[in-house]
Parts: sequence; C-alpha cells; structure tokens
Amino acid sequence: MATLEVKDLHVKAKEEEKEILTGVNLKMTTGEIHAIMGPNGTGKSTLSETIMGNPNYEVLKGDILINGQSIIGLPVDQRARAGLFLAMQYPAEIPGITNAEFIRAAINSRRAEDDQMPIPAFLKKLDHTLKTLDMTEEMSERYLNEGFSGGEKKRNEILQLMMIEPKFAILDEIDSGLDIDALKVVSRGVNAMRGPKFGSLIITHYQRLLNYIKPDVVHVMMGGKIVKSGDAELAVKLEDEGYAGLRDELGLDVKLVDEE
Amino acid sequence: MTVEMQTDQDIKKYAQQVDEPQWFTSMRLKAQQEVEDLTLPNFQKIQYHSWPINATRKLEVGDHRLTDEKLVTEQANIVQIGSKVIQKDLPQEFMDKGVIVCDWATALKKHSELVEKYFMTMATEPTENRLNAEHVAHLTSGLLIYVPKNVILKHPLTSYFFQDARQSRDYVHHLLLIADRGSEVSYLENTGTIGTKPCPANIIEEVIAEPDSHIKFASVDRLGENTTAYLNRRGYLKRNARIDWSMGMMNDGNIVGDFDSELVGEASHAEVKVVAISTGDQVQGIDTRVTNYGQHSLGNILQHGVILARSSLIFNGIGHIIHGARGAEAQQESRVLMLSTKARGDANPILLIDDNDVVAGHAASVGRVDEQKMYYLMSRGVDKKTAERLVIRGFLGPVLSALPSKEVRKVLADMIERKLVNGQKDE
Repeated sequence: MATLEVKDLHVKAKEEEKEILTGVNLKMTTGEIHAIMGPNGTGKSTLSETIMGNPNYEVLKGDILINGQSIIGLPVDQRARAGLFLAMQYPAEIPGITNAEFIRAAINSRRAEDDQMPIPAFLKKLDHTLKTLDMTEEMSERYLNEGFSGGEKKRNEILQLMMIEPKFAILDEIDSGLDIDALKVVSRGVNAMRGPKFGSLIITHYQRLLNYIKPDVVHVMMGGKIVKSGDAELAVKLEDEGYAGLRDELGLDVKLVDEE
Repeated sequence: MTVEMQTDQDIKKYAQQVDEPQWFTSMRLKAQQEVEDLTLPNFQKIQYHSWPINATRKLEVGDHRLTDEKLVTEQANIVQIGSKVIQKDLPQEFMDKGVIVCDWATALKKHSELVEKYFMTMATEPTENRLNAEHVAHLTSGLLIYVPKNVILKHPLTSYFFQDARQSRDYVHHLLLIADRGSEVSYLENTGTIGTKPCPANIIEEVIAEPDSHIKFASVDRLGENTTAYLNRRGYLKRNARIDWSMGMMNDGNIVGDFDSELVGEASHAEVKVVAISTGDQVQGIDTRVTNYGQHSLGNILQHGVILARSSLIFNGIGHIIHGARGAEAQQESRVLMLSTKARGDANPILLIDDNDVVAGHAASVGRVDEQKMYYLMSRGVDKKTAERLVIRGFLGPVLSALPSKEVRKVLADMIERKLVNGQKDE
C-alpha cells in the first residue's frame, strides 16, 4: 500500500503574486478513489499541476509526500517514476513521435536498461488496452495527440494511464468536453485500474462523472483549500444545492467566479 | 607554421607523377594563377573569412593505408580514404548497364573526354571564387559516376568518402555525377574524417541532370571536429530533369555548406531537404539556393536545424527567379530550434524575383523548445534529455518524412540520434 499526502500546501503561479492554494491538506492511499469538486477558479487544477511538478507553479509553504518521502524537490520526470500520473486537461501535441513509441519509452523509463519491456509483450498489452477504450490500432500509430479531437485526447490520456500503471493517477477534468458515450468509455478504463495497487484523485466540477466512477471520498475545494470532505453522497448533495449553498452553510467568505 | 606556397613547378611535377591529361594540368595552372586575385564567396550572416579554410599545401600522392583505424560503414559500394579507393563493390546491374563509377585518377585517364565536358563547365566554374580556384589547383581525390542514356537503376549506389586527417594535409575532393538523358539513379553519400589533425576540406560536388533524368541524391555529412570545411554541392538541371536532395549536416567541425540548384531547363524540378544539428562550439553555415532560369521550373527548399550547447547554425534560403522564367515557382521554409541560451541561430529567407508571372513564397523561424511539450513528455517519466530528443525528432519530422527513400530516412534518423546523444553530453 502506498500513500500520497499533501500537507498545508500554499502555492502561487510563477509570474503572479496571488496565492492560489491557501493551505491544502489531503491524504490518500492506493486502493482509494478520491474526488475533488469545486467551483471554477478555486485552485483544483493548480493542485493537480503542483502535485505533478509543473514548473509554472511555486510552492510557498507545505509539502507533498509519497510514502512519507517529500517529492517537492523532485523534477516532474522523477515524480512520474515515483508513481504519479497526471491526465491533463490540455495534453500537448507532439508531432514526429507515435503514440505507441512514446508509451513504450515511458514504460521503459521506469525499467532498467537491461530489462526493457519486450516488444511482443508491449504490443499485446497495448492491443488489449486499446480494445478496452474502444480505440483503433491506427490511433496508436498516429503522432502523439497531433490532430486529435478533444475527446480523443482524453481517451489517449487514459490509454497512457492504463499502459503505465502508476500508483496514483490525478485526472484533471477528464470529463470536460466528453459526450456521454466517451464518458462511459473513459470511466470503464479508470474502473479497470481500480484495485489495491492503484489510487486516483479525480478533479471535476460536475457530479456526472462520479455516477460512473464511484469515489470513496469526496472533497470540496473553495478559495484555495478543502472546505469539506465526505462520502459519495456529498457530491449528490452538491449537485442539488450548488456550491453557493455549501458556502453559505459553512459561512465562508469566498467569491465564486461564475457568480455575478 | 609556415606553408610553402604551391608553384607551377609543383603542379607539373605532380601531373607527371600521376600522368594526368594535359588539359587538366592547364586548368590547374590557370586556376592557381587566379587564386590570389579572387575573393572568398560571400554568404549572408555566415562569418567564416577568418577560418583556416584555404587549401594551400602542395599536391602530393598521399599514402592512405589503414593501420588499425576502424571505419564505420554500412553496406557500401565505394569506400575512399583520401584519394584511395579501399573498397569497390558495385551491383551487377551497374556493370550490365554500362554505368561508370571510378576514382578521380582513373576518370582522368580513361574517361578524359567525359570529365572535360562536364568538370566545372556547367554547374560551377574554377574562377567563380577563391575556394573554387584552390579546389582545381589542389584537387587530388574524387569520384566519377556516369549513368548512360535511358538507364534506369534499381539499386542505389552508396559511397563513403573519408578525409584522412591522420596527418596535416588538405582534403580536396570532387564528385562528378552525371545522369544522362532519361536515366534514373539513387545515390547515398557519407562523408567522414579519420584522424584528428586540424585540416581544411574543400569538397565540390557537381550533379548534372541531363534532360528527362531523375537523380535522388542523399548525403550524411560527418566531417570531424577539427576539420574546417567548404562543401559545395551544385545541381545543374536540364529540361524536365529532377533532383531530390536529402542532406543531413551532422558534422562536428566548422563548415560552410553551399547547396545550389541551377534550374536551367524548362520544367526542371529540384526538391532540397536539409536537416542540420550543431553541437559543442561548432559553426555550421548553410546557404541553400534554387535559381529558376527555365520556364515552369520548380525549386522547393525545406530545411530544419537544431542547435545545442554553444554552437551556431545559420540557414540562408535563396529563391532566385531570373527574368524570362515564366511560370516558375520557388518556395522555401527554414526553421531553427535552439536548445540552449548560449546557442546562436539564424534563418534568413531571401527572394530575388526578376519576372512577374511566377510564384514564390517563404517561411522562416527561430525558436526555443516548447516548455509545455517538455513538461508533458516528462510527466510520463521520460528524463529531460530523452524528452528533448523526442521534441527534436518531432521538429525534424516534417523534413524526414518528406525524404523519398525509406533507407535514407532510417540512416539519417540513426545519425541524428547519435549526434544528439553526443551533443547533449557537452551541454
């Protein structure tokens, strides 16, 4: 069992002054799926990018630990090899390298020089995973995300996730821009990963996704910190009452971005 | 070090020694006289005038025996060290169809008329500039390839030219490739250096495409770190002829490359693809030109380059359309990617249009590695250097994928990987 822990995390964007995360605390273990919900502009993406190690963000205070070891000083590639994965909201397009080549390079980066994944084993796993995600073989031979539709990119993030098998996967609004069929496919992929060796942190602002991937814990973020945690029922309640309702209930002085 | 200048007497002595034809010796003597009065060719933004690039040493018959040096060659038909051919293994098809492939001394002896007709008479001239004149006066090695009329060759010809820098000497090398009317040939050339002595290299390659011929010319240049080189490749295209150039500039030393296509014939067509990688402290200046003389002629330049460490890479792209070349087209794209803040890169598009009824266009850029892409790749676990190489491969991809031959693509991709891995060690 592995743990991922975020302690009193304060973060700002590199080029700016304003603190976006104002003291996030979170602890999870493999075998669990946590969801983070919250209104727009509350720092959900900042949290996921900071955990992964995006150099555009600066940690002002606090710590991030895997199995009790701080990863805050590690560059993004070392964090990935330590077991983290971030399914990004806006995956980059890289021409000139095929999906399959890249995924193989990513898997092999976790293995010793003399223990690289044999090609037949890789292809077998790739084939199986593509089928799970209703993806064609042709998709794996296309250049990494180049010319992919929004939905294809999201699917491709899950393909990489399933191939790499991280300890902890953060899914940053994986549901945005997906129609209901694609949402089901993506959920099927994540559910297939569920098990004692895998934990996931799902960032979303709609409860819809959580109908397909049942979370063990739901956190609500507002104003740069987690303001309430509960079980799956909390998400349903939020859907009914809205974020403003919860804010008022908790007596928080937070302005919602979409609120006029 | 003082170098004694070559005299007319030295030329005559060498001519006698190698028994070269009179007309060639006369050409040498004339070129030698002109050297002092000629200037180095000018290429915009390429500052090379202070380089030790001049060929000055007396002509001599070199001893190019191999001792314990290891040559890295893939399947080769011709391997030359200095002026000496150490391997010649032509496809049977070449013999059957009367193709001529021979070293320079043999070319002058056995095919004197052919050489006299084409040697620096069309594609370029001995007095075009100082380096050309030095080339003629000091030429000791080379290769002649002649493909007879209407001969279509299925097998490509692969050559390796090694500059011998185990001793200080000038490497002055000539390629004369002639595809006669209606013929087709695919040629892959590899240049390299054995030894580490600082030496100049002066290489001129003339590629003559007679009417209706088609030449695929690919090259991987890997001249050594201590070599200062002038590499001049000239295509001369007659009516309806076509040359596909695919060049990989993977040298380790300072080099000025002049890659020109003279689109003389009506509807002649040149495709020029260049990829270049500069590493360490080297400077690579590449001047690529297409000149449209013929009506409806077409010249396309596509060059992408990557710069690491403290090195420089300059791409000039010149599209020149001569008055009267109605319906001609010249297009070019030059892109440079810089991986370090100490690197210097330039991409200069130059269009010279002297006719109205033509199409011409250009695109040029110099940029840095996209941080978002790096972050994305690294977030999957690949380390920084591997991620950089992936981004570079992506950047060079449009040129590589446009190369006409799968084999050349593979050779070049491997060479790029090797040059990058080596170059990254020096960052």
